Amino acid sequence: MKTAQFVEGPAGSGKTTHAIEHIRSLIVDQGVRPDEILLLVPQRVLGRPYQIAFSSPDWPGGADITPVTIGGLARRSLELFWPLIAEKAGFAHPTWEPGFLTIETAQYFMAQFVNEAVETGVFDSISVTPFRIMNQTLDNLSKAAMNQFTLDEVASRLVAAWGDRHSSRPPVYRASLDLAARFRDHCLENSLLDFSLQIDLFMKDLLQEPVFERYVKRAYRHLVADNLEENFPVVADFIRWAWDMLDSALLVYDTDAGYRSFLGADPAGMHDLADLCDEVLAFQPLQSANSAILALAGEFSSRLDSATPVPAPSPANPLEAVHFSTHTFYPQMIDWTVDRISELVAGGVSPREIVVLAPFLGDSLRFSLAQGLEQRDIPVVSHRPSRAVRDEPAARTVLTLMSLAYPEWGYAPPSADIADALGQVIDGLDPARAWLLATIVYKQQSGELSSFDAIEARAQQRITYRAGERYEELRQWLVDSRDLAASNPPDVFISYLFGEVLSQPGFGYHADLDAGRVVAELVESARKFRQTLYPHGIEDWSSVSKEYVTLVRKGLLAALYVASWHAEDQDAVFVSPAYTFLMRNRQVDYQFWLDIGSSHWWERLEQPLTHPYVLSRNFPAGQIWTDDLEYAARREALRRLVVGLARRCREGIFAVAAQLGEQGYEQQGPLLLLLEQLGRQVDADGAG
Amino acid sequence: MLPSDFRFSQTSLQDYVDCPRRFQLRYVDAQPWPAVQSQPVLERERHLDLGTRFHRLVERHQLGMEPDTLARTVDDPQLQAWWSAYLGFDYLHTMEGERFPEFRASVDIEGHRVVVAYDLLVLRPEGNVVILDWKTHRWPPSAEWFAARMQSRLYPLVLVLAARRGVFGAVVRPEQVSLVYWLVGSSGDVVEFAYNEAQFESDLSYVGSVLRGVDRESAREEWFKTADEAQCRLCEYRSLCGRDVEIGAFDQFGIDVGNIVSDDVVLFEDVSEVGF
Repeated sequence: MKTAQFVEGPAGSGKTTHAIEHIRSLIVDQGVRPDEILLLVPQRVLGRPYQIAFSSPDWPGGADITPVTIGGLARRSLELFWPLIAEKAGFAHPTWEPGFLTIETAQYFMAQFVNEAVETGVFDSISVTPFRIMNQTLDNLSKAAMNQFTLDEVASRLVAAWGDRHSSRPPVYRASLDLAARFRDHCLENSLLDFSLQIDLFMKDLLQEPVFERYVKRAYRHLVADNLEENFPVVADFIRWAWDMLDSALLVYDTDAGYRSFLGADPAGMHDLADLCDEVLAFQPLQSANSAILALAGEFSSRLDSATPVPAPSPANPLEAVHFSTHTFYPQMIDWTVDRISELVAGGVSPREIVVLAPFLGDSLRFSLAQGLEQRDIPVVSHRPSRAVRDEPAARTVLTLMSLAYPEWGYAPPSADIADALGQVIDGLDPARAWLLATIVYKQQSGELSSFDAIEARAQQRITYRAGERYEELRQWLVDSRDLAASNPPDVFISYLFGEVLSQPGFGYHADLDAGRVVAELVESARKFRQTLYPHGIEDWSSVSKEYVTLVRKGLLAALYVASWHAEDQDAVFVSPAYTFLMRNRQVDYQFWLDIGSSHWWERLEQPLTHPYVLSRNFPAGQIWTDDLEYAARREALRRLVVGLARRCREGIFAVAAQLGEQGYEQQGPLLLLLEQLGRQVDADGAG
Repeated sequence: MLPSDFRFSQTSLQDYVDCPRRFQLRYVDAQPWPAVQSQPVLERERHLDLGTRFHRLVERHQLGMEPDTLARTVDDPQLQAWWSAYLGFDYLHTMEGERFPEFRASVDIEGHRVVVAYDLLVLRPEGNVVILDWKTHRWPPSAEWFAARMQSRLYPLVLVLAARRGVFGAVVRPEQVSLVYWLVGSSGDVVEFAYNEAQFESDLSYVGSVLRGVDRESAREEWFKTADEAQCRLCEYRSLCGRDVEIGAFDQFGIDVGNIVSDDVVLFEDVSEVGF
């Protein structure tokens, strides 16, 4: 290694800008070929500032640099070098090409094992849905891979950390790990690679291959790794492995962050990489930063962890950075927020410079905010990681129509579902007429639709002939398409249904862009399902379609990821869970922190089958996870969260509370107490 | 508005040339429309999958893996036929020079970032550069068809521009570049295009004018739809645009498998979104 630099500092201190300029300098001043630079980020969205810089006209082009995650690098490398390792790694059919599983497709396989296990009653002692059993078991696999633990080590850590509390938990941990082992065996039998197996193979097998080592040596001469604090322990292992092959390295670390600790990030282990570097630079907040906000971040930090105070550059009143507002009821809090945003926008603030943050973003909060802002012509974009596809009306409609197209399933939807579906897809058919039509033409016993031509003229008139004509087109298409349904997988059938009928002029989804998005997600999910479970096809696809629809109805499949970060580029107010915003790594002028009395601001998700802190290299194996440790972890998480948010704000924070929460209960969460304490202290200081 | 980090590719530029409205829906609005694009759907999918696997096999071989090791992963007669043809493709195997499989170049044209993914570049000892592109079309397109494609203009153009930025350590003159399509999926023939300064200037002007067209069109709420409704037969947006045409057959018009594959190489993979 010729040069290695470690850069650390808080958000907004110019670290990423420094890294971008470093890359520019490598290309322009040192004549490095861009594709020889490995740019490693922990999460796709954190590569955005680089992609934007690389796309600008003044960027020294020539070849392409794509930011990669360790998962992306592992996958691409395994895809390419698969023949070298498949046999050694113990795959039953090493000549088969690997099938890479996404989170969703991994769930397809895991769902089978989970359903079987749930039926045996092994998880009866905890109150958790099959979907969460599935996800937390996959989480255990991922954490094992990220830390390079065996599954036995995971089990023994979880059991030991539970201590001598009531004894139902250890068997449940073991049951989850048994599921994980069965899933892993299934993957080895069928050449399937979920995230955990990709990481394991990459670290344990591929890095040992001389051909791969030569390839890395030739392909990558320079490393830039940003947001190291959010990355996994195996990333440090990989960097150490590659270190001597590189000509240069720039490692970038955010001192206040580490938000992905609950996903397995290892800020402390990553910081140890500084020891490898011959230069360590500590960046300070930019001079132009708002001094009151810096003081606020410092107060948060020192009050939640006096061991790591954040120095404020100038004596400023932190309360100048934050505006409190308390309301009795939740809707009042939302109305007040909408009013303030409206004033800011009227005063010339760009909507993009405003974010509304809450610990969780439920449907009603999202809807109320969006409706309030849209009524005032303020553009808004919201983000939630996922929601079940079955909750979307367009998806429910398609699933209902599928049930009619496959009478052999023996599933007759309720009349209400038929009425909803007809109202959705027949242009101009209002709910009352849709209900009338459904009650006349649909008999749940038979599960079939009868002809519009056969009903009484008076009823035809009420429904309207125009709607009747469309209904007949749809009905006839469903009848005529039974062969199509049997000979095609569910995704293809849905595509035909959408393209040939539902999106045609006169039907409800013609030019309905939102419906197009939802149905496209459904098609994509169905495609992944059958490509993963039935890669070699099957003669009669009807049973596969039934299996898919059943799993979606149970909520086990098909989560939607509708909002993209491209949508977030718009000049719109961004409404999001607080952690999601942090991982966008954006600075904005104004932040609204909603529902600051909620205890969710510091509680982590209840995960009875796994544990983010125990399954970490930093946690001693065999140690009990005590209430004191839990309290300290929560304080630290809250400290990182509020300091991180403050660091990403330029002008001001609106901290808004509702005395009665969304469910009507009184709220006194720790964030509210912290802010109240801060207010009292500063007032007292001022008075003194 | 295009995303701030949008990068044009030969596929997106070809989309714009074929139909500005399609470009708008696909790239500006990122609007999915889940209708069937071409049929038979499963046959098309299988063909694309085999094309992807063939490209990967060649890349693996070019990276130094042994043919015997690679042959063990070939389990399909069609893929076997392409692989055998590749092993016997002396045109390539006897060519001296440094190899760059799946090489991505990126340049700025008219203020827009344009990215090209080459199947294989060979830097000849005398300084010439050969661009090789594998075509798994079931039918052999004519040289005229190739010449009219955006790919044939963009690939050599971007290579010359990228070389000026020092990507290959030296400037490459247009006369030193050749573009070779190998029709492995059909006739097995080689279609070769020499390059020269006049063609380079013409291509630069053409691509620049297409990009300016995109800029001009951006001011419109709804971009122009193609007047050639035959294009709509292979476009999933046909119902959205109110074009009452039949769904086209995927091999009738020549799906460009190789470039669908190489344009979509994605190195990103999230573990999961933050679960809050």
